[in-house]
Amino acid sequence: MAKFLLLAFRNVFRNRRRTLMTLFMVGGGVAGLLLVGGFFARMFWGLREHTINSGLGHIQIFTADHFNRDEVRALDTGIDNWRQVAATVKTGGHVRGVAPRIEFYGMVSNGDKSSVFMGTAVDPVAENGLGFFPTTFTSGHDLDSKSGGEVEALVGAGLAKSMNVKVGDGLTVLSMTSDGALNGVDVEIVGIVDSGVAEMDARSLRITLPAAQRLLQSDRVTNLVVGLDKTENTDQVAAELAPRLRGLPQQLVLKKWIELATYYKQVRSLFSTIFVFLGIIVFFMVLMSSVNTLLMTMFERTREIGTMLAMGTPRAWIVALFMLEATLIGIFGAIVGVLAGNLLGVLLNHSNLHLPPPPGFTVPMSFQVLHVPSLMIGSSLLVIVSLALASILPAIRASRLQIAEALAHV
Amino acid sequence: MFSLSEGNDNWNPGPPSRFILPFPPLIRFSNPSSGNPCTFGMTTSIFRMSKDAPEKERPMEELVNVEAVSRRFPLDNIPTHHPAHSFVSALSNASLRVSAGEFLAIAGPSGSGKTTLLNLIGCIDQPTTGRILVDGVDTSKLKPNGMTTLRREKIGFVFQTFNLIPVFTAAENVEYPLLIQGIGSRERRERVAEALDSVGLSARAQQRPDLLSGGERQRVAVARAMVHRPALVLADEPTANLDTQNATQLIDLMHGLNRRLGLTFIFSTHDARLLEHAERIVRLCDGQVVSDNSTEGGSRG
Repeated sequence: MAKFLLLAFRNVFRNRRRTLMTLFMVGGGVAGLLLVGGFFARMFWGLREHTINSGLGHIQIFTADHFNRDEVRALDTGIDNWRQVAATVKTGGHVRGVAPRIEFYGMVSNGDKSSVFMGTAVDPVAENGLGFFPTTFTSGHDLDSKSGGEVEALVGAGLAKSMNVKVGDGLTVLSMTSDGALNGVDVEIVGIVDSGVAEMDARSLRITLPAAQRLLQSDRVTNLVVGLDKTENTDQVAAELAPRLRGLPQQLVLKKWIELATYYKQVRSLFSTIFVFLGIIVFFMVLMSSVNTLLMTMFERTREIGTMLAMGTPRAWIVALFMLEATLIGIFGAIVGVLAGNLLGVLLNHSNLHLPPPPGFTVPMSFQVLHVPSLMIGSSLLVIVSLALASILPAIRASRLQIAEALAHV
Repeated sequence: MFSLSEGNDNWNPGPPSRFILPFPPLIRFSNPSSGNPCTFGMTTSIFRMSKDAPEKERPMEELVNVEAVSRRFPLDNIPTHHPAHSFVSALSNASLRVSAGEFLAIAGPSGSGKTTLLNLIGCIDQPTTGRILVDGVDTSKLKPNGMTTLRREKIGFVFQTFNLIPVFTAAENVEYPLLIQGIGSRERRERVAEALDSVGLSARAQQRPDLLSGGERQRVAVARAMVHRPALVLADEPTANLDTQNATQLIDLMHGLNRRLGLTFIFSTHDARLLEHAERIVRLCDGQVVSDNSTEGGSRG
C-alpha cells in the first residue's frame, strides 16, 4: 500500500508544469472560496454585532401577551414588575446589564410642521451598562438621566433635517396615554443621532424612561433588553434564564437576538445562497478542467497502463491509482488554496479597503475577511471530492484499456 | 499446477513448474512449408549453431499448448454487419507446444504474427478460433479476472521498449510484480536483491530508468519478468532497441537464466544474429507457422 501511494505521489509530480497548473487552478478555487466566504463571514459577524449592539441586545424579555395580541392602548401588554424582573436577570452569569425600554409612537411638532415618529424611551444609565456601541452623534450629546426641568430628546438626523431643527431647539411630542387620552410633552433636543440606517434616522426619537412614562401615563415598560459579555453565550444564558422567569407573577417570554433580527436573517440567507452558488461554480470548474487534465494524463500513460495490466495488475488497482493521484492533487491544491487564501486575507485585512455603504446604510463598509476554520475544511473537501469525482471517468477508461492495443500505443 | 473447474476462473496456481528432465523436448511441426521464402536460408544457420551447442538437461512437461489458433482483427470504421466489412488475419491456424524449461525463439519478418502469438500465449489477447493451454489451463475458458491472475502469477513479460515505470527506481520496478502478488516487504526486498544481482545491476538498484542505459533498462525488465518466479517469460523483440553488444549480452543473460533457473523463455525476434542463441526456433510467415526447428542447445554466446 505504501508503494502504491508512493507510485501515485510520484506520478502526481511527473509532469510538474501541468501539476503546477492544476494546483494553481484548484488552489485558486479554494482561495477564492475562502476570500468570498471569509468576507461574507465577516459581513455576517459585523451585521450581527451591529444589530445587537445598536440596541437589539442579546436577549429581550417581553410579556407573553405582547406576542399574543396587539396593544389597544399604550403599554397595555407591557411588563408591570420590570424592576423585579431586571434584578432577577442581573444575577445570572455573563449578563453585562439589563435596560428597560418603552416603544411608542406619535406625532412630533415644531410649531410649523408635524411628523410621525417612532420613539424609544431609555434609562441612560442602564443603557450604558449594556456595553453597546456608543451612539454616533452628528451634533450634541447623549441623554442625561440627572437633568432636571427640561425633558431631553435625541432625534435622528433624518427627522431633524425634515423638521428643520438643531440641538437646543424645542419640539412637542404627542402620543396616546395608556388610558386612551392624548398627551403631550415639550422636549429639548440635546443630540442629533446618525445610526447609519437612513430609514431609522428619518423617524427616530429617544427620550428618557421617566419622561415617556409621564407622557404615556404608565409605570410599565415594553421590554427589558439584556446585554451579555459575548454573543456566543446567548444560548447558554437564555437556557438558564427561562426557568427563573417562570416563577414571576407575570407570564414572560424570552427572545434571543436571532429571533428578532429579521434583517440579519434575510441578509444571511441571501448571501449564503450566493456562496453556495459560488461553491457549485468552483466545483464544476475544478471538475471539468480536471477531467480534461486527467484524461490527457491517461492517454500519455497508455503504454504504461498496458504494461501494468499485462503484468497482472487488477483493473481495480488502476482505477484506485488514478483516483488516488487525483485525490492527492486535490489535497495539495487544497493546501495551496488554504495557504494562499489566508495570506491574501491577511493582506486584504491590512489594506484598509472600504466598500460603498450597503443598501439602507450610510457608512462605508470596511473590506475585511475572517479566517474561518470550517470554511477551510469545507472548501478543501469540496475540491478534493471534485478531483476524486473528476478522476472516475479517466480511471475507468484507463482500467478498460485493451492491453494489446495499449502496449502498441505510441 | 492449476486446478480449474469448467467455467470457473478462480483457479489455484500451484508451485512454479520448473522441472529439469534429462530429455530434449519433442519437436512438433505445424503447417510446415519447406518452400516458403520465410524459412529460406535459415535452416543451415540453425544447424550450424547446434554443432557447438552444449547439451542441456531439459524438462519434458508441457507448459504451453497452442492448438489451431487463429486471430483476426476487424478492419476499423466498417460496421460488422456491413457487406464491405472484412478482417485482417494476424494468425492463422497456428499450433505450437512448448515444454517447461525451453528457450524458444519465434522468428519471422515484421507483420508475420510474432507479437500476436506472444500476446495470445501471454493471455493479453484472445484467439478468434482455437485454444491455448498454459500450464494446463485452457485460457479460452478464463474470465478476465482469471486471465489477470494467470498473467500475474505464471507469466513474466519483457517488452521491446522496456516499459519500465518511469517514476520507480530499478529496484522498485523489479519489486512491482511482487507487490501486486501481495508478497511481504521483507521477502520482496530479498527477491528484488537476488533478481537484480542475477542481471548484474545491484549497483544500479536505486537509479530511475531515465538514468539507465538501454541495455541496463532491458536487464531491469528481465529481472522484473523473473522476480516472481513465473512459469514462463515472454519477451517481445527484447533486443530491437539495443545495439549488437547489448543485444548479445541480453540474450546471453536470458539464456543463462534459462539454464541456471530452468526458466522457460519464449521470445520473438527478426534479428538473425539473435537466433544463433536459440535452442528452438519457430518461424512464422503471414500468420502461419512455417517451421519449428530445434538446435539442440543453441549457442552460449
